[in-house]
Amino acid sequence: MARKRERNKGETPKLDMTAMIDVVFQLLIFFVVTLKQEDILSKLTAARPAASTDEEVKNKDPNLINIVVAAEGFLLNGRPMRLPELDRGIERFSGYSKTAMVVIKCTKNSPHAFLVQALDICNKHGMTNLSIFTL
Amino acid sequence: MARRSSSSEQCDIDMTPMIDVVFQLIIFFVVTLKLSSDVNPDIILEDGKHGVTLTQDNMPPSTLEIEVDRRGRISIHNATLTPSMLRTIINNRIGRHGYEFPVLIRADRRARHEEVRRVMDICTGAGIWKLSFLAVQEHKAKE
Repeated sequence: MARKRERNKGETPKLDMTAMIDVVFQLLIFFVVTLKQEDILSKLTAARPAASTDEEVKNKDPNLINIVVAAEGFLLNGRPMRLPELDRGIERFSGYSKTAMVVIKCTKNSPHAFLVQALDICNKHGMTNLSIFTL
Repeated sequence: MARRSSSSEQCDIDMTPMIDVVFQLIIFFVVTLKLSSDVNPDIILEDGKHGVTLTQDNMPPSTLEIEVDRRGRISIHNATLTPSMLRTIINNRIGRHGYEFPVLIRADRRARHEEVRRVMDICTGAGIWKLSFLAVQEHKAKE
């Protein structure tokens, strides 16, 4: 009797862990499988000034950089170009002044992707004064 | 004698550290799990590597995220809205937070500018001039 009690005290009680470990591994596998990594997003901020009234005034500003976003591509100060040329053009302008006003004019049927590309390029070269008009 | 005891008894491995690690992993996955995302999954964003990275810090709870899908459907948290409903929501939010809350436009890259413009016009009509467009800085999601 005395021997039995001594043995109970000295040993740890035996608990069957197998079932718990099974369940825990099942849970772990479930969470590993359902884990989905999210894309890292960025935001491109631009102002949208009031329509046409002051547009005429701004058009006379010599420092104005004028980007037209059309359905087929871009126009930088009236010259048609694709994305790489626009990139170089904005890079050149950003060398003079980063605070020059950039007016992005979008035609109605241009895809939104082009507007985002133009905004991205302006952000890339540090242009801060961006505004969006609709043609 | 020694051989018999080792074959009939279970080999005593200390399970405690393994169980600890496994529980830590489970808790990690539970915490990072997002079961139902409330954004429209059909919207494909354009790449924008040079924009300001979106983090919890520059996206306060008052942020209004407006979705425009490729057919021009306007929604917030994947709930479709009519332009007048959007106008009401923006005006209510201006009443609560003033004009200082950020407005994010999550517009599909295939949407036409005309459709995005409707949302921009509603925002400017309510007095919000500063708008942000969402873009993908880094692709992480597996297709």
